[in-house]
Amino acid sequence: MKKYSILLSTAFAIMLLFNACKKDMTEINATNPNQFSGSEGRLMITGAELANVLVNGGEAARMAGIFSGYFTGADRQYLSLHQYSYTAGDFDNVWGTLYAEGVAQCRLIKDRAKASNDMVLHSVAAITEANLLLTASGLWGDIPQSEACNNGIAEPKYDNMDDVHAYCIGLLDSAARYVAGSNAHSGAYEGGQDWGQVAATLKARALLRKGDYSGAAAAAANGVSAGKDLKSNHSADVPGAWNLYYDFCYWNRGGYMTCENSYLSTLLDSASTTKRHNAKTNEDARFAFYYSSGTADNYSTRDPNYLDGIFASANGFTVVGYAENQLILAECASRLGNNDKALEHLNNVRTTNAGTFANGLYDAYDLADFGPGKMVQGTNTTEALRMEILVEKYASLFGQLETYSDLRRTKNAIGVPLNTGTQMPQRFLFPQSEINSNSKVPKNQLDKFLPLTYFQ
Amino acid sequence: MKKVSHSISKCILLAFSALALPTLGYAQSASEDTLLMEEVSINAAGLSKSARKIGYGTSQIKSKAISTSGESGLIQSLTGKASNVQITRSTGDPGAGAYIQIRGQNTITGSNQPLIVVDGVPVSNSSLGGGIDGVVQQSRLNDINPADIEDIQILKGAAAAAIWGTRAANGVIMVTTKKGKKGLNIEFSSSLSLDEVNREFEKQERFGQGVNGAWRANNALSWGDKIADRSGTDKVNQTGAKFVSEDGSVQYPITEKGDKTIYNQSNRDQVFRTGVTWNNNISISSASEKGGVYFSASDWNQNGILAGNSDYRRTTGRLNFDYNVNSQLTLSLKNTVAKVFSNRVQMGSNLNGLYLGYLRTPSDFDNSDYFGTYYNAAGVGTMNSHRGYRNYMGSAAPTYNNPGWTLNKQVNTSDVTRFIVTPELQYKWLENSTFIARVGYDQSTDRRITYFPYRSAASASTGSFGDNLITESELSMHFINQSSHKIGNKINLDATLGYLYTDRNFFQIGGSAINFIITDQDRFGFFNATNENMTPFNSISRTLNDRYYGMFDFDYDNKVFLQLATAAEASSTFANRFWSPSASLSYEFTRDIKIPTLSYGKLRTSWGRVGVAPPAYITGTNYVSASSASGWGELLDASYFGGSIYRSTTSGNPDIRPEMKQELEIGADLKFLDNKISIGATYYTNTINDIILATAVPASTGFTNKWLNAGTISNTGYELDWNIQLMKKKDFNWNLYGNIGTNRNIVEDLNGSKSIFLAGFTGVSSRAVEGEAMGTLWGGRWKRNESGALMLDAEGFPQPDAEEGILGDPNPTWKGGFGTNISYKGLFVNVLFEACQGNQMWGGTYGVMNYFGVSKETGEEFIMSAEQGTTIKDYDGNTAADWVDPNSDGTYTVRGKLEDFGGGNVWLNQGWYTTNGGGFGPVGEQFIYDASWFRLRELSIRYDLPKNVLRALHIPGASIGFTGRNLALWTNVEGLDPETNLTGVSNGRGLDYFNNPGTKSYVFSLSIKI
Repeated sequence: MKKYSILLSTAFAIMLLFNACKKDMTEINATNPNQFSGSEGRLMITGAELANVLVNGGEAARMAGIFSGYFTGADRQYLSLHQYSYTAGDFDNVWGTLYAEGVAQCRLIKDRAKASNDMVLHSVAAITEANLLLTASGLWGDIPQSEACNNGIAEPKYDNMDDVHAYCIGLLDSAARYVAGSNAHSGAYEGGQDWGQVAATLKARALLRKGDYSGAAAAAANGVSAGKDLKSNHSADVPGAWNLYYDFCYWNRGGYMTCENSYLSTLLDSASTTKRHNAKTNEDARFAFYYSSGTADNYSTRDPNYLDGIFASANGFTVVGYAENQLILAECASRLGNNDKALEHLNNVRTTNAGTFANGLYDAYDLADFGPGKMVQGTNTTEALRMEILVEKYASLFGQLETYSDLRRTKNAIGVPLNTGTQMPQRFLFPQSEINSNSKVPKNQLDKFLPLTYFQ
Repeated sequence: MKKVSHSISKCILLAFSALALPTLGYAQSASEDTLLMEEVSINAAGLSKSARKIGYGTSQIKSKAISTSGESGLIQSLTGKASNVQITRSTGDPGAGAYIQIRGQNTITGSNQPLIVVDGVPVSNSSLGGGIDGVVQQSRLNDINPADIEDIQILKGAAAAAIWGTRAANGVIMVTTKKGKKGLNIEFSSSLSLDEVNREFEKQERFGQGVNGAWRANNALSWGDKIADRSGTDKVNQTGAKFVSEDGSVQYPITEKGDKTIYNQSNRDQVFRTGVTWNNNISISSASEKGGVYFSASDWNQNGILAGNSDYRRTTGRLNFDYNVNSQLTLSLKNTVAKVFSNRVQMGSNLNGLYLGYLRTPSDFDNSDYFGTYYNAAGVGTMNSHRGYRNYMGSAAPTYNNPGWTLNKQVNTSDVTRFIVTPELQYKWLENSTFIARVGYDQSTDRRITYFPYRSAASASTGSFGDNLITESELSMHFINQSSHKIGNKINLDATLGYLYTDRNFFQIGGSAINFIITDQDRFGFFNATNENMTPFNSISRTLNDRYYGMFDFDYDNKVFLQLATAAEASSTFANRFWSPSASLSYEFTRDIKIPTLSYGKLRTSWGRVGVAPPAYITGTNYVSASSASGWGELLDASYFGGSIYRSTTSGNPDIRPEMKQELEIGADLKFLDNKISIGATYYTNTINDIILATAVPASTGFTNKWLNAGTISNTGYELDWNIQLMKKKDFNWNLYGNIGTNRNIVEDLNGSKSIFLAGFTGVSSRAVEGEAMGTLWGGRWKRNESGALMLDAEGFPQPDAEEGILGDPNPTWKGGFGTNISYKGLFVNVLFEACQGNQMWGGTYGVMNYFGVSKETGEEFIMSAEQGTTIKDYDGNTAADWVDPNSDGTYTVRGKLEDFGGGNVWLNQGWYTTNGGGFGPVGEQFIYDASWFRLRELSIRYDLPKNVLRALHIPGASIGFTGRNLALWTNVEGLDPETNLTGVSNGRGLDYFNNPGTKSYVFSLSIKI
């Protein structure tokens, strides 16, 4: 009897325990309690825009800036970079941002926007996507587009650079129809932009790369107007919200990258023999806005101005701007033989410079100021003017990526000195992550000195 | 159930001595107990079983071997004691975790750590945290007091894992704690351990801070002027700014550097001290026919070798109680509680880390005055200023921490409370059948504080605080019925049927605060930051598993043993139940065949398959808070841009399946010359298919990673354990023992990915690479032609290859332990050597010291002939004549060295080391070293007081002892003990980058029984 009572009480105790503790297996892990399983397009767009800002103003811009004479790699890995020493692995990160955090999200947003017939959101996503892909194609040439970010395709093919540009122009053209005058969905930006103008300038940028001057001019005619730059917003004063140059050059990697002996700084420095100063031009204020030195917060004798200038923590970074648009117009006019128009657009930029750099001097030029023995020297008026347009664009786009395209397109017409060797790197390398697992990587384009199709 | 008596229990004093040293049985217990005919093993179900009847490879380690090791942690004490059980401590920090690897790695991004079972219930051995920076965390297994351990059984193969299923694929470590013993036994033991740093980097002392041969204040580098050529005293400006340190000494801005003092030694002494550990333990045990009780309390109080906030204090209590209600029913309860408080030191790739700031310090900079008040030129003072070589006036946070600041001002505490409760009921409900119900509950909470005061280096310069509470718990219920059956005359069957249910919970909550409001009071609270500078976080995870199993042990004529087992497992992370079968067969052939000199011989083989359930929450693709970062630290976080939730860059996979491991094992246990020589040999081969990975996919697919059943790994290895009784007399015993294991691991398939990142940096990482061993070191290489020769540039320097590739293998070709123990009357000596050979490591620290010009190598000077001085070029294209004036005889005395890469001599100096030739250049290949080592792991001596003395003292036993750990190390690696890993207990191996150093110890112990 005792035996059975022990047995029974044991069984009972076990049942009690078991019922109390046992839970249904399959229910527990059905949803992830720490993450969401979906989102709305309007909530996704800021993330894609931030990826666009990081692609255009982050590591890629710094590398291109070192190649372009904007910056000086001064410490650690950046010293090697300054010697044009870089490997495929250096591009994994920016490529991941570009596609997985940028293009892929834009395409998801477009799908969602289409479903809800929200063409404004659709267009902002399309412009962001075009911006990303154009930047990528300008750095790598042939890149995945038609098969990119498509769940079914594990190894997307690489599309011809020309096809990528055509696709992006298509995106921009159709987007421009819906967002003229709109600054909707500006999560990552200051909000002063007109998306229709942004699309037009991006299109002009794409066509200029190809040397389609009339097309570029036509597009830029509707491009970004004064005061309507697409600029990133860095108003929150916390890590994670700052201007990326400030974040890198001052906060995270102080001293890695300076502007000591950088070519642009020697153009703007009144103490330099290659200064741009003349009777109508004084670059001192721009120099002070671009560079800083001599404070306890500086890492070198000439740092990019992350303290109170162009790269200050709260200062917006120009992703697509008025100066670029005007100087596209100016260069195209010059290339198409219209010096008067070219001069007009150049002077437009000088006028805004005068506003931005209050203590500088940017009096309007006359055609008579250009040519042999003139204020702006050159073999003839046309050449001198065109060179001034290119140099002004070089100076205006400090820290931006498109300069690297201009230098390669013009075969370095403005004469940025090389850091080493006999040629400037002509392209970024396809990332190691693609080489490792995408057999479609063009094996004949792995040489950093091989020019892109457009820039051959 | 059979009552078993452990051979060692006859020596009561020894058996109870928490700090007891080698005993007669040491060798066997240390290496290969399964060889001893009457020895008893714990089988996979946690039940006692004669070792002879087990057909798979196990290693047993007894309490003596654990306690004599002098290690704070249970894990570390296992090192060198069993073949193919590799223990790698993360660093020498007090209480630092350690990585356990049994027979190679079995998975790629999941855990390779074995399952820990204490007294029949699974417990946590997590080691949460462990990246390339931060602090080294503890392993939770080390919460258990080593003195409470009766024995440890290591089940290595898949066949043994059939009972425990999914988590046992990496092996099982079965820990049994002590029970009450007859009579009343009270024992005190106490030990004092003195620890020293084991290996240190040498720094050059010829050249000062600066670049291009000139002194430059606050410069990162030591490529400055020659210190001996200086005037002798610094010229300073005493009219403006100054820094007044705590002790009143004053620093002024230097206008001309003249000081010739070398501060390497004082800077070193600021960082290191003799670590002191007091360990006190008391145990009381008693037993009668009605049951037994074992009680213990212990306190391990350690101050580490780093001279600051580096300590570890573990206080434990245990009560094990069992009561025989009647001849059929036994109730027992095992309880332990541990309180572990520890201070950790920041390390690794971390501007707030110790070694980074210390090793980069130029030899002409004095780190001693690191804390004080900075007065600017106007005389305005800033309290709590931080002075370091990157900001010698302390006017702002220096770029790198002064090591004094890292050690004394930063706070990184871990406060752990752990308890494990195991009630059990055993009921012999039939003559041949016993039912066991066992519940285990293991819970730990760990509160971690991370505090960087205002003016700490880098991103913490405005202050940073983090508070994180981690709670882990595991509830298990285990029901077992074991019965014995006779089948005919010669066959016995032991049948075990069981059900195991586990419920594991993880919860963490915490937050961080930056930009302190009040900067001169250390407060560990969020109130010292404004709202926008606080970030809360939490996360939870829960997984359930259950498992039905049956294990059938056939015994034919007491010489052939067959075990068949099978289990069906379900997991909340995977809907379908999956099967794990296993079989083992052993034959004691010496029962049938008599071979001269062979006193015992057994052949064994086993096969098993075990499934590993997928991790939780990988079936779906998540939508996450958007944030984009570059890899350099700068980032854009959408939460500061109004928020954005977008698709994760890692793709989920609804079709994920369990990983499957299969293993075949063949072995033999042999004893010769009346068991004087015993040898155990095992060969195994295993394959793990369907390994689950967040595979790197081309980002152009829209994802950077995707969860897939993508990988296949295989391991093949040999194990040999031996013991030789050289002498066995009444008063004199002498044994030789040892073990050796090899494991060849190959990542067979990665589903098309060339490699998968496990841990490390953009430049050099530890990866899974198809066709190579797990953890393969990967990174930038020199450009080579088809024949493997360097492709030099026009000047004769090698160039980096555009593509990264394989650099080395961090896995040893073999590992082993060899030792001897001798006892003479009351004197016991044990010597254990340990070897790890054929492994490589990335010496990131050394490479970066070259970059900075602080390494010994970069401080050398040599003379170039007049001709060399104008012809041989450095990496920047300059000759010696461009750098320095010639000596009076026309030669040139220059810094650096000549090197011929194959294109004639080139001059390696600043230009080379700060670019491609240094640790920040793109070529990691040049810093891959052979990290083989051989060490005197343990030397212990114990003396038991003789009986007449004990009688005079009126005590039954007492002993004194000494243990030395790591007393000698032979390795080619410079500057550090290669037994280290930057990323802690992660699958990425073989990385060194400013890791905190390893230690050697001298332990003095005393044990008294009353």
